[in-house]
Amino acid sequence: MNVNDYLIVATIIFCIGAVGVLIRKNLVTIFLSLELMFNAANLGFVAVSEYLNLISGDIFVIFIMVVAAAEAAILLGIAIAFYREKGTINIDDANELKF
Amino acid sequence: MEALFYIFSIIAIFSALMVISVKNPLTSALYIILCFFAIAGFYILLNMQFLAAMQILVYAGAIAVIIVLVIMLLNLAKTKGAIKDFHQIVIGIIAVGLLFLEVILYLNATGEKKPTGIYTNAIINKIGNTQIIGEFLFTKYVFPFEVASVLLLVAVIGAYIFAKK
Repeated sequence: MNVNDYLIVATIIFCIGAVGVLIRKNLVTIFLSLELMFNAANLGFVAVSEYLNLISGDIFVIFIMVVAAAEAAILLGIAIAFYREKGTINIDDANELKF
Repeated sequence: MEALFYIFSIIAIFSALMVISVKNPLTSALYIILCFFAIAGFYILLNMQFLAAMQILVYAGAIAVIIVLVIMLLNLAKTKGAIKDFHQIVIGIIAVGLLFLEVILYLNATGEKKPTGIYTNAIINKIGNTQIIGEFLFTKYVFPFEVASVLLLVAVIGAYIFAKK
């Protein structure tokens, strides 16, 4: 398969994730859409790295996975704190800019 | 190979669409696990078996378990009507559609680029996938590796402080 095919699939998944971030209200679903975007970026890195016969892209994917795991822990902590404060995780209720 | 690529892309795109369109967050979480597995299949097609294993262990294992655990803790499975109003949907879809169009135009406009590295698939398979990643990770990229461990420590402390009463 050509590298362009992988990049097109990665673009489609990235755009689906971006639409999810823009149209959903639920904090957990927005987080899942962010993970979709991370995965699309990873797929692009691996595809281009394989095409150019490099390893650096694959190493970068490992670091992106580390950042995604850290982000998951932080964002779900925020979700729990927000739910405790408001009783919901609808992000339209996050309109006070204070904790 | 060709047929596998199409199967994986259909599964990945379908499950990504289901993630953002179903109402129940638990169903979204299950569909995103399906999407992670399809992307792991792409990594195997791209001759990166170590990354495929990491994808399944870290994403489909750890992160998905954290998400399902939070959905269970917060009792979110009964929340309904979680989509924004009409204008936000239209503007969001148009903006992302334009982004998609621009990326596709860019992909078609760029010319062929010759491979620059020496690590072809034959060499990677000869040395060994895991060994080559480990060698790079502990020699050339050892400083980002250490910074990543500090980042994980900060994330653990931050999550504890956020979720603490």
